[in-house]
Amino acid sequence: MTQPGVLRPGRWIGVAVIAGVAAVALAAPVLAPRDPYRSSIAMLDLPSMAHWLGTDDLGRDVLSRVIFGARASLAIGFGAALVAMLIGVPIGLLAGTLRGRIDVALVALIDLFIALPGLVLALIITAMVGANLRNLILVLGVVMWPPIARLVRGQALALREAMFVEAARATGGTPLWIVRHHVWPGVLPVVAAQFSISVSFAIFTSASLSFLGLGIPPPAADWGGMVRAGYDYLAINPAMSLAPGAAVSLTVMGFYVIGTSFK
Amino acid sequence: MRSVAMGRRQALVGLTGALLAGGTAQAAGPTRGGTLNVGLDNDAKTYDPIFSVQFTERHVLYLAFNTLVKYGPDFSIRPELATSWETAPDGKRIVFTLQPGVTFQDGTKFDAAAVKWNIDQRMDKTVNSPQRQLLEPIVASVEVIDPLHVAFNLVTPSPVLFSLLGERPGFMVSPTAWQQRGAEFASQPVGTGAFVLKQWTRGSQVVLERNPTYWQAGLPYLDRIVVHDLAGSVIGVQRLLTGEVDYVDQLTPTDVLPIEKRAGIVLKPIKVGRWYFLQWHVNAAPFDNAKLRQAFAHAIDRERLNEITMRGQGSVSDGPTPEGLWWYDPNLKFYQHDPARAKALLAEAGYPNGFEYELSTPQVTVFQQINQLLQEQLGAVGIKLRLQPVASSEWYARVVAGTTNLTPTRWTQRADPDGLLYILFHSKGFANTMKYRNERVDALLDQARTVYDIPTRKRLYGEAQQQIVTDLPMVPLIFGAEYAALRANVGGFEWIPDEIPRFRELWKTAG
Repeated sequence: MTQPGVLRPGRWIGVAVIAGVAAVALAAPVLAPRDPYRSSIAMLDLPSMAHWLGTDDLGRDVLSRVIFGARASLAIGFGAALVAMLIGVPIGLLAGTLRGRIDVALVALIDLFIALPGLVLALIITAMVGANLRNLILVLGVVMWPPIARLVRGQALALREAMFVEAARATGGTPLWIVRHHVWPGVLPVVAAQFSISVSFAIFTSASLSFLGLGIPPPAADWGGMVRAGYDYLAINPAMSLAPGAAVSLTVMGFYVIGTSFK
Repeated sequence: MRSVAMGRRQALVGLTGALLAGGTAQAAGPTRGGTLNVGLDNDAKTYDPIFSVQFTERHVLYLAFNTLVKYGPDFSIRPELATSWETAPDGKRIVFTLQPGVTFQDGTKFDAAAVKWNIDQRMDKTVNSPQRQLLEPIVASVEVIDPLHVAFNLVTPSPVLFSLLGERPGFMVSPTAWQQRGAEFASQPVGTGAFVLKQWTRGSQVVLERNPTYWQAGLPYLDRIVVHDLAGSVIGVQRLLTGEVDYVDQLTPTDVLPIEKRAGIVLKPIKVGRWYFLQWHVNAAPFDNAKLRQAFAHAIDRERLNEITMRGQGSVSDGPTPEGLWWYDPNLKFYQHDPARAKALLAEAGYPNGFEYELSTPQVTVFQQINQLLQEQLGAVGIKLRLQPVASSEWYARVVAGTTNLTPTRWTQRADPDGLLYILFHSKGFANTMKYRNERVDALLDQARTVYDIPTRKRLYGEAQQQIVTDLPMVPLIFGAEYAALRANVGGFEWIPDEIPRFRELWKTAG
């Protein structure tokens, strides 16, 4: 808060990490040395020149699977954060700019959802609706919108109080006009920061869900699922779990650092 | 020569040798006492033998109960609660002589009346035991001759009866306790067995204690057996290494890699492995289409399944019976791996642009691996499978209910060829979730189960199996390779080909 925003080192590290992960995800077919879905009879090989991170229990190249795993992670991360924004921002704005019963009702709704532990809620819903990419994005979005709504509402309230005076002085600006021209620009930085943090949370939570067996079904190259599958073989080829685990940690950290660097 | 150094070196060598020997030495002769800790991926729902269905229930049933007869390591029939038997010349009456001086764990006498009660309960429609369908076609009535002699009057001559009396239908339950305890009997069972079930904490453990009035002199050696619930074989192996459990089974060839050469651990492979196959509903679309099924059969590379999931230590399955059992047929013909033929058949079946379906995928490592390989192999010929994960506790219930169509599955062998072949492939078989119905197969199986002559039975089962695999109500995949791993100080363990470990006669030395 004391340094100018653009010079904060955390932001640049975060940007570098995210750019790296995004580049890997985009270039996956070119970058990956082998087909991530192709089995072979070289099962559970240790890292070698032929397979830099070794192979998994079906003889598939771990490095290629980690590279392709970036796609699912970023898709879920961005997708879920977007869904959370699409629900949370309007609700937050409504609650923050309108007064009275609507605000009270929405605050009650937000508090209700915040009280439910995110991972547990995600677990329960996914177990009911079934795990696939679309459902995971929706479920995680539904779990993540309340903190966003609360944040946006707070910001909007603060701005509304300030704007109210000005609007009273001005000649009859409609609430929508006030929101668009005064509240929204103030809320935007908060939303951007929270978006990044939400991506980070979504990737981490989906990896946890996959680890618990509720992620994208096999044979998906999905980091959380890979950690789970490799768990049985830690004593034989630890890279099978450690590599995707490190990828999750790195990516989650990158997004989180960017998000917090805005504050 | 510096004698001091030599002496020290010799002592070190001697000490190392003694440590190594101590670590790998097999347990000496039977020793009394001790607690055996068993690790088990337990899916038990009841310990009432009359209603038992789940695989892992039998691990405890064989401790709390005895059967009328027992299996030898080659599936031969041997005495247990029945010491001998006589078959009438027409094959329709068998008189069993019972072991004298046996009481149930609640003090009730074990006698011919108890045997009759046990069989009558299982055949009673109101009781609704899943074993009724096994016994009804065979047993007309059970007759008490005197307290130590009971006669089975048969509907038709049946050699199968003996193998049934060695497993679920043969577990002798205390009539008094069963009637008194009602629904509670499932968690407080009473049998004549070497161990009494003291406590069952679902999801955690089962505690059994030595039966002080057990009728087999000298047995059991152990004081206590605790069956710990495990979340999977990996955890089992870890707990075996730390000494928290003394026994773990259902280990695959990959699971045993970290412990293959460990001092203090002994591996026991089972020679007759579980039979894995892919099944579907054969009575309705889409799998009632023979060419579609044949396309599947030609597309699957079973040799590769064995190589990757079993490290080549299992064997390819062309049919239900592995080599080593007396009804194995080496001349069985099955569809060979031929992807080109599979593609052609798929088009002929009416799917020139490919075929898509959902493949049920229980959360069991071997099935996950097999399914991913199947997906790859079938995908190569245009059959796209979506893997549908399902919790292992729910999986088989859904198969039985019919809501799951396409799924892999596995079965252990039964002591009599009729056992598995009938329940799976006869139109009246209770485990025939494929809804398979072939009159010729029904006739062959019906005939083979009434004949005592082995060569004749062998011929009949050979014909039945050939018809079955030609019809493809399922695609046979592999026979698995499996291991039990024990700490070296546990003695007396021997596998029975039904893959249920028998702990009754184990002992444990110190260390």
